[in-house]
Formats: sequence, structure tokens, C-alpha cells
Amino acid sequence: MLPASLRHAGWTRATFYTLLGIAFSYALSLGARAGFDYDPLLDGESVLQIALIAAPLFFLVGIGCFDYWFYWASGRPARPEDHSGHGAKSWKSYFYVNTDHKVIGIQYTVLSFFFLLVGGLMAMLMRAELAQPGRQFVDAGTFNGLFSVHASILIFLFIIPVFAGLANYVLPLMIGAPDMAFPRLNALSFWMLPVAGVLMMASFFAPGGSFASGWTAYAPLSNTAPIGQVFFTIGVQFAGAASIATALNFLVTIITMRAPGMSFFRMPLLVWANFSTSLLVVIATPFIAASQFFVLLDRGLGFNFFNSAQGGDVLMYQHVFWFYSHPAVYIMMLPGFGIISEILAVKSRKPIFGYRMMAFSLLAIVVLGFTVWAHHMFVSGMQEWIRVPMMITTAIIAVPTGIKIFSWLATMWRGVLKLDTPMLFALGFLTMFTLGGISGVMLAMIPLTIHVSDTYFIVAHIHYVLFGGSLFTIYAGVYYWFPKMTGRMYDERLGKIHFWMTFVFFNATFAPMHLIGVQGMPRRVADYADQFAGWNLAISLASFALGISTLIFVYNMVVSWRGGPRAVSNPWRALTLEWQVTSPPPVFNFDRIPTVVGGPYEYGIPGAVHGILHDGAEVTPTPAGTAAQPSKE
Amino acid sequence: MGGETRKPRREAMLLTAAIGLVLSAIGIVIGLWIDWFPIQGSTQAEDIDTLWDVLVICSVPVFVGVTAVVLFSAREFRQKPGEEHLDGPPIHGNTKLEIVWTAIPAVMLIALCGYAAVVLSNIEEAPASGQEDRVAVTGEQFTWTFEYTAPDGKKFSTNQLYVEQGKSVKFDVRSKDVIHDFWVPQWRLKIDAVPGVTTGYRVTPTRTGVYPVVCAELCGLGHAFMRQSAHVLTPARFDKWMTDMAAKKAAGAAPAAGGTAAAGGETAAVDGKALFTDGNGDATACGACHTLADAGTEAATGPNLDEVLAGQDAAAIKTSIIDPNAEISEGFGEGIMPPNYGETLTPAEIDALVKYIADATKK
Amino acid sequence: MEAAAIPAAHGHGHGHDDHHHHGPPPANRSSRAEPAMLGMLLFIVSEIMIFGAFFTAYFFIRVVQDGAWMPEGNELPVAVAGVNTAILLSSSLTLHWAETSLKAGNRNGFKVGMLTTFLLGLTFLFIQINEYIHIGFAPSDHAQGSIFYGLTGLHGAHVFIGLLLLGFVTLRAFRGHFSADDHRGVEIPGIYWHFVDVMWIVVYTSIYIV
Ligand code: HEA
Ligand code: HEA
Ligand code: HEC
Ligand code: CUA
Ligand SMILES: [Cu+2]
Repeated sequence: MLPASLRHAGWTRATFYTLLGIAFSYALSLGARAGFDYDPLLDGESVLQIALIAAPLFFLVGIGCFDYWFYWASGRPARPEDHSGHGAKSWKSYFYVNTDHKVIGIQYTVLSFFFLLVGGLMAMLMRAELAQPGRQFVDAGTFNGLFSVHASILIFLFIIPVFAGLANYVLPLMIGAPDMAFPRLNALSFWMLPVAGVLMMASFFAPGGSFASGWTAYAPLSNTAPIGQVFFTIGVQFAGAASIATALNFLVTIITMRAPGMSFFRMPLLVWANFSTSLLVVIATPFIAASQFFVLLDRGLGFNFFNSAQGGDVLMYQHVFWFYSHPAVYIMMLPGFGIISEILAVKSRKPIFGYRMMAFSLLAIVVLGFTVWAHHMFVSGMQEWIRVPMMITTAIIAVPTGIKIFSWLATMWRGVLKLDTPMLFALGFLTMFTLGGISGVMLAMIPLTIHVSDTYFIVAHIHYVLFGGSLFTIYAGVYYWFPKMTGRMYDERLGKIHFWMTFVFFNATFAPMHLIGVQGMPRRVADYADQFAGWNLAISLASFALGISTLIFVYNMVVSWRGGPRAVSNPWRALTLEWQVTSPPPVFNFDRIPTVVGGPYEYGIPGAVHGILHDGAEVTPTPAGTAAQPSKE
Repeated sequence: MGGETRKPRREAMLLTAAIGLVLSAIGIVIGLWIDWFPIQGSTQAEDIDTLWDVLVICSVPVFVGVTAVVLFSAREFRQKPGEEHLDGPPIHGNTKLEIVWTAIPAVMLIALCGYAAVVLSNIEEAPASGQEDRVAVTGEQFTWTFEYTAPDGKKFSTNQLYVEQGKSVKFDVRSKDVIHDFWVPQWRLKIDAVPGVTTGYRVTPTRTGVYPVVCAELCGLGHAFMRQSAHVLTPARFDKWMTDMAAKKAAGAAPAAGGTAAAGGETAAVDGKALFTDGNGDATACGACHTLADAGTEAATGPNLDEVLAGQDAAAIKTSIIDPNAEISEGFGEGIMPPNYGETLTPAEIDALVKYIADATKK
Repeated sequence: MEAAAIPAAHGHGHGHDDHHHHGPPPANRSSRAEPAMLGMLLFIVSEIMIFGAFFTAYFFIRVVQDGAWMPEGNELPVAVAGVNTAILLSSSLTLHWAETSLKAGNRNGFKVGMLTTFLLGLTFLFIQINEYIHIGFAPSDHAQGSIFYGLTGLHGAHVFIGLLLLGFVTLRAFRGHFSADDHRGVEIPGIYWHFVDVMWIVVYTSIYIV
């Protein structure tokens, strides 16, 4: 009989199972090679490729993600649910499998921010290398590895999961649900992230160095690359599976678990945003999974998907990849749109301007998002007739996005703006994302893209939309919900310093990239022509300051979480449901499901109510707001 | 009290609007004044640069407009002391407004697309005269090869690109291994070199001179160093170059052939210089990556041999060729120089090559 | 992940049936849709997309590259695969029969139905593998081979997963689980199985017949 530590879910068992997984990989590889009598019988690469898939799975079993399902599947009478695995008893609980959406939300958010630091650190190294032409610290191979891992980690393990984390925490509260629809699936989704993250970071220790063909991993380069590439190929599978599972969970939760009275058009826009995002994830993510399967099969089993000599099609990779990865850029933006809608309404004390159009524009972006993938392939040598249609759809996406930007501006108009940290980041987002979006529209114009594609102009666009867009909304959201999630207030002064430093040095870092890009500096190079030296030095210096500003944020969060002043349940006088429960909320959110009787943003209407909690208290802005102007409409 | 402050002061609004317009104007002026682009080296570049100017003119007002409203609101509507419990007016929307800000961008964008489509067809249009040169461009890790067909039908290839000023030239771009991208910034044109596909573009160079040929698609270790140069010559000089090359090939063919024959056992005099500049059938030419004054090659992928080899003895050179990664010379990546010259070159060829380089760099 | 949707919701159901004093308040049902069922349907959507991606590859290799399909001397055993198709389809019928018998309270019909379904699925898988062995070309021979093995293999993997699910259900059927009014645990894997069958028809027609 096994010792208890190996029978019960936890880290000892996880370690043990992981080792089992590795042993299993050796066995399988040896067995297979013996069967097809290859020699040498023991081939490190084949073992490694199997282990990269098997070990993580065994780990997930060991840590306890599957216990209940195995129990159920084995056909024993399903045990009545005890809530042992639900809710955090101490900080230790965050290191074990837990089914409470609030615990999972925090696990997600904290882990993702760790990955921001790691990915950011790699950016720092890149900038150090690029500070001067010629070779400073790293050779070409390592540099290619750096920006590949930088991007992969920040996209697949920061932006995408951190949004899932924030939504995980607040979304069930917002719609008056006790938890997500599938709590165990939720836990599994989370635990697949550290797996993916460890794989990507570990790739640096792989023989031949980390994967170095960019986050786009174009074939055939990724086919012929050293084994490190497989860490990406498989890491992405886990990250992808995680986000599909979460998306399923969100969709089912939103559709089936809304509080009585919460019709679709009474949902807060954050819920709408995550609804749209989840649709994108469920439909698009399988494509990147497939693209990486192809690479895996080509590498591992000698398939010919991308071997043109054998009738394979190299451009097919890009079509499949971008059919996911363009929608992915909206997966990385729409939840941010939701956060901004929440914050702008509350901090301007006004209803969202054109609520329905806000919701519909999200859906419009979802639909259009699937019709533009080839705008990443304008110079790829694909069939020429595809280009112009894709240019038009791409440009048209600016229209629904514009509707949102303008509606946000109108929401602020004549409001009572509270310019605290979340609001500052929201305003920063409005301007910076507009800039990034506009450079995007420029990129849609084929003749221009023919020149600037694969230059630093693209790098500038990437960071204006992903940093000035997504990351700003994430900062805004984290500050905004910090009191709810931790029960503490953050330090407003540090918050403001963080904003201004970030805003200034973000622009100092990425604005000049537009210029050097158009002037002809290609992206993904460790070395560049001397004519660009001046700008690159300036960019590098600014980027270090940007790094430091990030550390200020980290400091603020850590210190405030441990010792910040206690937060009241509704510090922002917000209407949405998550603010009507204590900070942090009770373990099961509500003792009785609230009833929703009005819209979520009825600020300025005396006595307006969004939902009624059944401990008597009515959900009204506290104290009830007084309209400045009797509304004209 | 709150009431009045909520209503934006007309003068303040007009002022902001005015400032917005002025800023847009300034922004546009700056946007047009900055010299964004490298030298304008082709007719295509002219169209593209104009498109850029139009885009700048359309974009700046959008950005300035949004920013102006944000700043104005932050200033006019910020919560003042004593307004902590004040709310804004419950305005839920305004259909007219929403239609306006849906329609205007839509129209603007469609117009831009139309214009861009026209520019696109212009820059890809074949010359009316039908007069056009053709050059076959082949990318491989980590160098470009350019193949020409001489008037007499003979084919020859070089490691530097030579084109004729004022005459349209069509490139047929291919790749031997992974995806590369054939880009000459001064022409504003690039296209991927894709294994198994023949891509390409046409350009009409307008300025003589030497411009970089840049590989713009990540293709591995040497990507950053995959640079050659494009020489734009006046028609007269181009024709001369063409006839010279054709003649030279006719002559040079023999030793190269002899070289490969040497593999077959018989020993023939091998021309090291020819090997250096053109390689043999399967070995990439050294000149594709190295600058060597004597051979007239100029490339920066590998070290400038005139400099690094000054005073190195033949033995050292030989090892560097057969086993380039034995010691990596300063500032260059390992694994960029093909490690297999030991096989692709016959011993006879290697000796000839080493001898040639040793002499050429001994000064 | 596949099996997830079902048990998660299943356990959840128990969560508040037995213990409403401690544990979460019963969630409001804002839709007639059954959560677990909805989850499975959405999961099937993403499954369809992954097949979609493989069909994209198929399209590029067969149409865009327009090489011969199949290359000289590589014949696809249309007939054998046809029989196999019939087998897989009949398994859908037996499954349906099992479900109806369960709803009609006929436990034996249910058990036999599940068992035959499972066995039919298994036979399909074996015939498929046997076909691989005798087909005479490998995925490494040419892109057509790659996508052939790719699509059929992907489908095979899904059959395998489906068999796991059905296996569990059969197991529990013989352990006396499920009843005329508790059959969700059968229906949801059932949908998945029907999806796998339908998907095979698409794969079969496009690869073997067209
Ligand atoms: C959050 C992520 C995100 C977002 C939201 C976007 C949004 C957009 N992107 Fe971007 N994009 C990326 C992330 C993103 N992108 C990344 C990572 C890459 C590089 C991938 C790689 O590594 O190769 C890329 C690359 C990329 C390319 C390929 C360039 C190349 O490689 O050659 C193109 C080309 O069309 C493009 C276009 C657009 C457009 C038109 C939008 C639009 O959605 C923008 C719409 C928004 C606005 C326009 C602003 C607000 C609108 C108004 C104020 C209304 C009025 C405006 C006008 C009338 C102009 N993007
Ligand atoms: C959300 C996405 C995201 C974010 C936040 C960033 C953030 C940054 N990125 Fe990156 N970037 C991408 C997404 C992102 N990037 C993508 C998709 C690419 C394309 C890759 C490709 O071509 O394939 C790219 C490429 C890219 C390049 C081009 C590389 C090339 O093509 O050669 C550069 C170059 O300057 C760069 C720089 C930076 C910098 C300076 C930051 C800064 O904002 C970082 C700020 C610093 C931090 C946040 C870290 C602070 C912390 C510390 C300094 C200490 C940490 C301590 C510990 C970890 C213990 N990025
Ligand atoms: C694809 C590019 C490429 C080609 C083709 C190439 N080289 Fe190199 N070569 C390099 C690089 C990069 C280096 C520096 C790194 C190293 O030392 O390996 C180098 C280094 C060298 C060195 C060593 C210089 C020193 O510092 O001692 C010699 C000698 C040399 N090459 C000769 C040749 C010869 C002769 C040929 C043709 C037969 C050739 N190279 C072909 C890229 C190339
Ligand atoms: Cu060739 Cu980059
Ligand atoms: Cu895109």
C-alpha cells in the first residue's frame, strides 16, 4: 500500500507521478523503436518529445486535477460533494488544486504577472543587446530565442490568461452565480498554465538552445530547428487547451447561470466582452493546435505537410496559424474593452453611452475577426487575389472599434471624472490604443505594408496595441478590483507614479520604432546598420526605465496586499453585483442568489437599482447619487 | 453648484476645438516634414511614399481628436472637491451621433482602401513598352544568388544584384531551404522567397547607386547577416557589365568544369578565384558572404577576409574553411558559414582556393 | 479534458441536492439548456474546428498544390473502408437503441446496447489499424500520405476517446447506474459518439470517394 503522501493529491504525489511519466516515456520510446527496429534503440530526442507530452499529463494527474473524474469514471457511486477543495484556508491553499473561482482567479492573475516579469526581463536583455550595433551580450541564436520566448510567454502566458483570471474572479460575482459552471474543469485549465510556462522557459536548457523561430514559428524553419522548438510546439498545446476549457466554462456559465432578472442586455459589458472572447477562443484556438500538430508530425514522424519537395504546402502553415492568431489579437483585446467599460462608467458616474451598440460592436468584431487573417501575409507570396478583399475587411474592423472608442468618449462627456489610478490607465488606454489601431489601419494598406512588413514599424504596432492597449487595461483592471480581490486598498500615490512613468517611458520606448521601421530597420535581428544606432540606444535606455516602472507596480501590489488599509465592500460606489458583497467576498459569493431589476450602469438616476441582494440591502450607488443635470434625453 | 460646472463652458469647448485643429495641422506638418523613408530609388517608391503622406494626413486628426476630447474631459469634468457624491447626467445614448461616428470612419476607410488598391495595381503594372529584364533570385541560408540570361542566351549567376536604371526588371524569387524575404528598402518592395513556390515583383529603379539587399524574413542564425547589395547602373554601364560577365563566364566555365571533373579523379588546374566568386555546382560561393578586394566581392555576412586574414597562414585558412566553427571570429555567429565545404569542395579545389586566398590577402 | 463537462456538472448537481445547508446557494437556471449538454456541444464546436484545420491542410495539399491524389500506385481500399463505415454507423444505431431502452426502463436492452456499441467501435478501430498496415505507403512518402494519415489518424484518436467514454458508461451500466429518469450521463457521451460517426462520413467521402 502506498504511503498517504502518494495516495493523496499534492506536490509529493505530483513529483512522483512526473517521474513515472518520464519513465513511461523511456519505456514507450524504447518499445516503439524496438518494434520498428530502429537503431540506436535509445534516442534522446524521441524520448524527450514523448516526455514533453507525458510528464505534464502525469503531473496534472498527480497534483489532483483528475481525481474526482477517475473516481466517477470507475463507476463507484458518485460521492456527495464535500467542499473540501473549495475556498482558500490560508496562503498555502493557492498552491493546491482548488475549485473556488475566486481562488483560481487569483492563482491565474498572480501567475500571469510572474510571467510578465519573466517575459519583460527577456525584453530587457534584448534591449541591452540592441543598445549598440554589433554584438554586445548574446549571439544571434540566443537573441532569436529571446524574442521568441519573450513574445510567446507574454502572449500565451500573460495577456490571454490574465484576462481569464480577472474574469474568473469577477464574472460569476457580476452575474450573481455561486461559481463557474464546471469548477473542476476550471481548476484543470489553471494548472495547465504553469505546465506550459515551465516548458517554454525550460526550452533555454534544451540542446541547441530555446525555440528561436519567433512566436509565429513559421514552417519550414520550425521543422528544421533544434529540439528546443518542440518545447514551444507542445507548450502552446497546453496553453491552448487551457484557454479553450476556460472559454467553454465562461460561455456555459454566462448562458445558464445568470441571476433571475439579468437579461442579456442587463449584463455588465465585461460579461459581454468575455462572452465574445470565449466565442473567438472556442472557434479559433483549435487552428493553432492543428498548426502545431502538423509541425510535430513533420518533425517527429517524418510527415510532409511542409515539405515542398514531397508535395507539402509551406504557406498552408501561415493560413492555419493566422486563422487562429489574428482572432487571438482580439482575444487579447476584447476583455480589456470590457474592463474599460466598467471603469469608465463608474469613474465618470454616468451610464455607458450607447450600451447596445457597445455590445453589438463586440459581436461585429468577433465576426469580422475571422475574415482578415491574411493581412499578416501580404508579402508572403500567397495567391495575389486574396490581398485586396482582406485589406477591405481589415480596414472595416476599425469601424466597430471606433464605435467603442467614441462611445467611451461620450460616456466621459459631462460626467464627474474621478482621476484615480484605474481611471488614468483607462484614459491612457484610450489614446494609446487609438494610436496603435491607426498604425494597424496603415498596415492594412497593402502597398505600405509591402515596405514596412517585417520591420520595426510592426514591432511598434505590436506594442502600442498589446502594451498601450491590452496591458494598460490589465493595469486598470487590477487596480480597480484590487480592493475586491484582496480586501485591501492599494497605495494611490505609488499607483499614480506607476502610471506616469509607464505612460512616458512606454512612448519613449516604442514611438521611435515607427520611425526606424519605416527607415528600413528589419525586425528580429540581433545586429543592425549603424545608421539606426542613435535611436536604438535611446529606445534601450527608455525601455530600462519602463522596466523599473513595472517594479514599482509590483512593489505597490505586494506591500498593499500584505499591509494596505482594509477595503470597504464598495469603495467606488459601483452598481454591479460584485461590489455589493464583502471584500473579499464570502466563500460561496452569496447566501442567496440576488435578483436583478435594472441595468448595470444607471448612474445619475436617483434611486436606480441594478440588483437586490436578499439580505435586505438594495444595490444602489452608496450614497445614492444626485444627477447634476436633469437628463436631456 | 455642481450643475453649472458639469455643463462644458462654450468658450472652453471652442478653445479646445481650436487647439485640436491647430494641433492636427501641426501634427500633419510634422508628420509630412519628418523624412521617414530611405532614399527614393524606384518609380514604385514614389507612389508608396505618396500613399504614406495621405495616410498621415488622415490619421493625425483621428488621433489628435480622440486625445483632445480625453484631455478636455479630464480638465473640465474632473471631480472637484465637494463633488464626491455627485453623479453625471444619465444620458444613455444618441442615435444620430452614433450613426455619424459609424458612417464617417466607414466612408473614410473605404475611400482609403480604394486609393490603396489603385496604388497597388500601379506598382505591379507591367511596363507599357513590354521591355523588361528578368532576374532569377534564389535565397538560401544565408545568402542570395542572382541568375541572369545573357543576350546570347547563356546563363550566369552572381552574388551581387546588378540592374539597369530606368528599365523595369521582374524578379522570380525562389528559396532552397526556409522562407527568406527579398527586400530593397530604397525600392520599398519586398516579397518572401518560399520553398516550392516562385514569387516575385517588378521594379523600375530610378537612381543609380549601391543599395542593400536585406533578408526580411526570419530564416535562422544568419538572418541578421543575410545582406548583399544591389547595384543600379546606367544603361550603358549595365550593358557593358552584361557583356563582360557573359564573356567571363564563357571563359570561366572551363576551369569550373575542370574543377568538378577533378572530383572524378583526373586532375586539372583549378581556378581558385572563380571558385571564390562563383563556387562550384553545389558549394556556395565564398564571395556571397565575404568581402575580398582581389576577387571584387563585397558582402558582410562573413568577416571581411582582406582584414581578418591579413598575415594568416594557409593552414589556418584551410581549417577555417573545412571547419569554420573551430574558432569563431569576433562578432560573427557560429554555424552561419556552411560547415560542409569539406565535402562540397574536392581536395584539389580546397587547395587551389586556400592558395588563392592566401596570396590575395598577403600584402 | 474531454470527459470533463459531464462529471463536473454531475458532481455539481450533487453539490446542492444533498447539502444545501453548507455549500453554495443553488445557482439560478437562466436558460433551458442543460449546462453539461451545452458544454459538450460547445466542445464539439471546437472539435469541428480542429477537423476544419486538418481539412484546410487537405485542401491545400490536394487542390492548391494540385498534385495527383493519390500518387501512382497508392490505392485507397475504398471497399474495406466502406464496410468499416457501415460498422461505425451501425454503432450509432445500437447506441440509440441502448438509450431508448434505458428510457423505457429496459436495463438489459441498455446493457446489451452499450456493449455492442462499444464492441462495434472497437472493431472499427482495429480494421482502421489493419488498413494502415496493409495500405502500402507511409506518411513520410508524400504529402498526400501525410494528410491521409493525418485526417484518419485524427479521427481514429477521437474514436479512441469516444470508446473511453462509452467504456466508462458501459462499466457503470453494469454496476447498475443510470435509470429511466437519470440518463444524462449516457446521453452526453452519446452525443460525442454520434459526432465522431458523422465526422467519419465527412472524412470518408472526402478522402476515399471524391
Ligand atoms: C491586441 C492586439 C492587436 C490588436 C487589437 C490589433 C489591431 C489591428 N491590427 Fe494588428 N497586430 C498585432 C496585434 C494587434 N493588432 C500583432 C501582435 C501583430 C504582429 C504579428 C507578428 O508578430 O507578425 C499585428 C500585425 C498586424 C498586421 C500585419 C503587419 C505585417 O506583419 O505585415 C496588420 C495588417 O493589416 C495589422 C492590422 C491591424 C488592424 C487594422 C487592427 C484594428 O483592429 C485596429 C482598429 C482600431 C483603431 C483603428 C483605433 C480606434 C478607431 C477609431 C478611433 C475610429 C477611426 C479610425 C480611423 C478612421 C482610422 N496588425
Ligand atoms: C503583451 C505583449 C508584450 C509586452 C508586454 C511586451 C513588452 C516589451 N517588449 Fe515586446 N514583443 C511582443 C509582445 C510584447 N512585448 C511580441 C508579440 C513581439 C514579436 C516577437 C516576434 O517577432 O516573434 C515582441 C517583440 C519585441 C521586440 C522586437 C524583437 C525583434 O523583432 O528583434 C522588442 C525590441 O525592443 C520588444 C521589446 C519589448 C519591451 C522593451 C517591452 C517592455 O514593455 C517590457 C517592460 C519590462 C518588464 C515588464 C519587466 C520588468 C521586470 C524587471 C526588469 C525585472 C524582472 C525580475 C524578475 C523576472 C526576477 N518586444
Ligand atoms: C553563408 C555565409 C558564408 C559562406 C558561403 C562562406 N563563409 Fe566564410 N565565414 C562566414 C562567417 C559568418 C564566418 C565567421 C564565423 C566563423 O568563423 O565561423 C566565416 C569565417 C570564415 C573564415 C575565418 C575568418 C577568420 O576570422 O579567421 C574564413 C577563412 C572563411 N570564412 C573563408 C570562406 C571561404 C573560403 C568560403 C568559400 C569556400 C566561405 N568562407 C564561405 C560565412 C560564410
Ligand atoms: Cu534569410 Cu532572413
Ligand atoms: Cu492581425
